[in-house]
Amino acid sequence: MDRTTFLARIEEYHMGGWRLALINATSAMSTEEQPGGSFDVVWAFVKDNAFEYLREEIVPGDEVPSISASFPAAFLYENEIRELFGINVTGLNVDLGGQLYKTAKKIPFSPSAIRARLEANAAAGIASASPTPPAGPHGAAHAASSPAPTSAPTAGKTA
Amino acid sequence: MKRTVIPFGPQHPVLPEPIVLDLILEDERVVDAVPTIGYIHRGLEMMVERVEYTEMGFVVERICGICSFMHGMGYCLSLETIMNVEVPDRAKWLRLIWAEISRIQSHLLWLGLGADAFGFENLFMHCWRMREEILDIFEKTTGGRVIHSVNRIGGVKRDVSDAELAAILVRLEELGKAFKKTASVFATDPSIAHRLVGVGVLSPEDALSTASVGPMARASGLATDTRLGGANLYDQIDFQPVVETAGDCLARVAVRLREVEQSIGIIRQAIDKMPKGEGLPLENRPRGNPAGEAFTRLEQPRGEVVYYVKANGTKYLERFRARTPTFANIPAMIQLVKGCELADVPNIILTIDPCISCTER
Amino acid sequence: MANPLTLPMVRRSLRNLVARPATRKYPYEIRPSFGGARGKIEFDVTTCNYCMLCMRRCPAEAIRVSREDRIWSIEHLRCIACNVCVEVCSKKSLSMSNQPRKPQTPADGVDGQRPGHEEWHLAAPDTTGAPCPDAETPAAKA
Repeated sequence: MDRTTFLARIEEYHMGGWRLALINATSAMSTEEQPGGSFDVVWAFVKDNAFEYLREEIVPGDEVPSISASFPAAFLYENEIRELFGINVTGLNVDLGGQLYKTAKKIPFSPSAIRARLEANAAAGIASASPTPPAGPHGAAHAASSPAPTSAPTAGKTA
Repeated sequence: MKRTVIPFGPQHPVLPEPIVLDLILEDERVVDAVPTIGYIHRGLEMMVERVEYTEMGFVVERICGICSFMHGMGYCLSLETIMNVEVPDRAKWLRLIWAEISRIQSHLLWLGLGADAFGFENLFMHCWRMREEILDIFEKTTGGRVIHSVNRIGGVKRDVSDAELAAILVRLEELGKAFKKTASVFATDPSIAHRLVGVGVLSPEDALSTASVGPMARASGLATDTRLGGANLYDQIDFQPVVETAGDCLARVAVRLREVEQSIGIIRQAIDKMPKGEGLPLENRPRGNPAGEAFTRLEQPRGEVVYYVKANGTKYLERFRARTPTFANIPAMIQLVKGCELADVPNIILTIDPCISCTER
Repeated sequence: MANPLTLPMVRRSLRNLVARPATRKYPYEIRPSFGGARGKIEFDVTTCNYCMLCMRRCPAEAIRVSREDRIWSIEHLRCIACNVCVEVCSKKSLSMSNQPRKPQTPADGVDGQRPGHEEWHLAAPDTTGAPCPDAETPAAKA
């Protein structure tokens, strides 16, 4: 992501009197271009009845600047995406140090964790989503020989 | 000065649900508060991996027992947006009526809990007695007191006959009259004023910078109300958001008191305007699997809720996210707690109407 | 400020002394359920054709159906009474009773089963379809 333009646009929303509505991350499964998976992160703002959002594609390990300088309330969302998705958010105004959610598993929504869960479900014969989703905005489904399943745990460590 | 750390929660007499605030005190004054949530994190968002999108709505409804109707409705609205489903008119009106009834129910519940927190046990019981009648209306019309399960993608499962709607309206108007008496106690009782006036004042600027929503923001003079956007037939309803300017705990109580009466008025208008008759279509069930994404905003009793749904063309959604109003109000709560007296902390925490189940999902 | 001479709460309290209580004496006086209330799933084993649709669609994973063992079972404590199984059942074997399920304690789980577990065996294709006596739990008897 382009840090400077991103922060400039966040500042525009801040100066325009917008209210932070949501920071949401979605894990995308590994693709051939992105074997470790990626995150689709959305920063959404509300002003009166208007709703707008910024969208960035984040690769595990990418540094995401905190927007808590402009929007102090962002710290909860940023701590959340760090704890649940393992996205590396830097420069938080309130760093809860992984203490926001008491989850049994650390980083439950990282692409590798989701893949591991879905593969375990498939192995146990439990009906669940396929670990290799169909072609979508984040790329094509894998061939069986794709290196993605083996590289996914490595991505989990770097994230 | 020596600092003391007092853990507030997870179990505390005023808290219906577990949340921890580590209060850092100097003498009796709170200087900082560190929240920890996650005691009832159930991973409902993760369940999209195992529950098909057609049934996920019934799971989403169980995020919280108080906003359950709105959660189910928000989920269905998101998928209706993705799948381009036109919901029949009568179903839309029924959803609006149920949504407003659940707002009354939630506010009565909160007013009771609030009264309990500032030590007015009697008022607590009066509020909950009235709430019981609302729950009976829900059980009669939807089949469930708390979890209604009437929303389905494309419409609603049950119809309510016109005669029954008229009876509900009569019941609600009677309830509104009885509520006026209870409301006057909240507004005029000197002991309540003593506990709440000037406590936990949130200025309009702070309300914006902490991104607070719902009655919290409206009590600070911000006229934010997602219903003003006009979606879900609210453009056909004549109403003004309830705004108070004081920004203290009593203003937040007053907003909710007035919203109960406002909701009864909205239901009256809705029953008047909805298409009448038996056997009108209620559902327009979609075919195939959803693909795409949608953001849906609704005004829940506690404030604005944002749903994000992403579907990839399979039976299982890729992501479901509910940003609930309490999650948005936690920064404001922390800001209010800083600088207040220890004895005021329970009242301040309760006046944001915390719903921890919603926050953690 | 309220006029303390009017004493609104005192007046109301005095009225409450002579009025009927707002509550019921619950275990002795039970309010009848409303007609359309969703209480408890009931199963009629005689008509079931083991299509397994109810198991696949159950969001709470409360229903288990096994074609090989000819068992149909439900965990009432997992069931969220959403009515999905009743709606999808093509044979109308499932119905929703408006009576709520009974509370369960761990002691109610007999034969090593979880409390609230209820199961039906269809021993042979020509069975009369009565629930298997061995598998009957207090929930089944209730």
